[in-house]
Amino acid sequence: MAYEHILVEIETPIATVTLNRPKVLNALSPDLIHELTSALADLDADESVRAVVLTGGQKVFAAGADIGDMADRSAVDQLSRDQTGRWAPLAGFSKPLIAAVNGYALGGGCEVALMCDMIVAGETARFGQPEINLGIIPGAGGTQRWPRSAGKYAAMEVMLTGAPVTAQRACELGIVNKVVPAEMTITIAKRLARQIAEKPPLAARMAKEAVLKAFEAPLAEGLASERKSFYFLFATEDQKEGMHAFLEKRKGVFKGR
Amino acid sequence: MATEVEVHVHVQTHDGIGLIRLNRPEKMNAIGALTRQQLAEAIKQAERDEAVRVVVLTGSGRAFCSGADVTEMVQGAGMRTPEDVGNVLRNEYMPMLTRLRTMPKPVIAAMNGPAIGIGASFALACDIRIATPESYLLEAFVNIGLAPDGGVSWLLPRLAGTGIAYEMFFTGKPLSAADAHRLGVINRLVPADRLEQEVRELAGQLAAQPRGALAGAKRAVTHALESTFEQALEFESYLQEAQAASPEFAEGVQNFLARRKAKQA
Repeated sequence: MAYEHILVEIETPIATVTLNRPKVLNALSPDLIHELTSALADLDADESVRAVVLTGGQKVFAAGADIGDMADRSAVDQLSRDQTGRWAPLAGFSKPLIAAVNGYALGGGCEVALMCDMIVAGETARFGQPEINLGIIPGAGGTQRWPRSAGKYAAMEVMLTGAPVTAQRACELGIVNKVVPAEMTITIAKRLARQIAEKPPLAARMAKEAVLKAFEAPLAEGLASERKSFYFLFATEDQKEGMHAFLEKRKGVFKGR
Repeated sequence: MATEVEVHVHVQTHDGIGLIRLNRPEKMNAIGALTRQQLAEAIKQAERDEAVRVVVLTGSGRAFCSGADVTEMVQGAGMRTPEDVGNVLRNEYMPMLTRLRTMPKPVIAAMNGPAIGIGASFALACDIRIATPESYLLEAFVNIGLAPDGGVSWLLPRLAGTGIAYEMFFTGKPLSAADAHRLGVINRLVPADRLEQEVRELAGQLAAQPRGALAGAKRAVTHALESTFEQALEFESYLQEAQAASPEFAEGVQNFLARRKAKQA
């Protein structure tokens, strides 16, 4: 499928999705969101792809939504379009998803980064939720995902002041895994994706699911669910391969079966 | 009748060197509201301008910079309340000093004379200092009942150690150019009549160096000062990968091999 607002590059076993509206700092228009979520749905279904990098390129990740498009909309307009609800294929993506962030990740852009599983940030990246300056609040998970990772107090500061934080600060707050030189961000994210893509895919999927469960479920439920996945993986060929390879001191070859 | 705007900061770019000169010799280059505005603009432009490969910050007349314009402060020009004092530090000096310290190109302070208060901050936020023997650094805050500002609580302990920093903050006495040189705070001492030439020579040398390699050094140090040893090693390794992929490296290696061959011949 040909896209207008994003680029999809598949280098099996990884894929890279690049938001590609540089003239408007990758503003998240309805069309872009539609393309991004359908591309991700395809990549989720593609068995040859085992990990995905999501980036905005060298200069900017995404500086929010299309304000021009929403300034004069009514509440009912917004509700009926339910733009924020359309993020489900991203938030529910089953494979490891790594954000490679350079420059601004603001508003919806920051929320998209937070929907990913890991974030690699260039040294000049900035993360923030400036919605409050426009008389609104984040609408794609910002108020929920920030406190779950950075804690209540840092999250409140970000939401209530609208001031962005630096990559280094975001790293200290626990929403960035690694701060790297900006020209290397995408390379390093891809490398991380390749490293993960070598792991048994079913185990990677279960691990991701289990970690995300920690944000949803009470501990007892999370532990019960973790145990079930743990037992389930003993029913896979990759578990047999992984353990025998370990015993035979060789590298396992995993098939996702 | 339109009044002409005074030029408190003189800017000149020549052969890759961006010279920023404080231009209030009659006030020992004291920094007032207009100076701050012009200096902020000059520093921002120097960072952005691709033609500027090295930045030199200096003063005109007898001083490098005598600090904040106290007369103006007392007269209340934009600094009427304690909060104004804080706001000027946060909103004006903070971005300027941060930019000087982190812009990905070398910044040289040519200390033609004393650097006092915020003037010392500007000198210390530069990467390299070349000074005349008559110049000195002075943290005069205590003499008027203030605590240090302009980043010196961070810069001086790193450049001179906490003992020297505290002595300066507590006593309000100057650190002479000779002592600062001995401590490594000032890189070179140069007689006043040779300062300009010496600075121009060094700046010229740096302007001819591979740009990405110098930027890399600055980015690495900026990152390292906020990280652990392991984080610094990792960050360096990525920077080096980027640099190793650059034409600068290819050219550097070729030149190196050619020089060795020439030597052997």
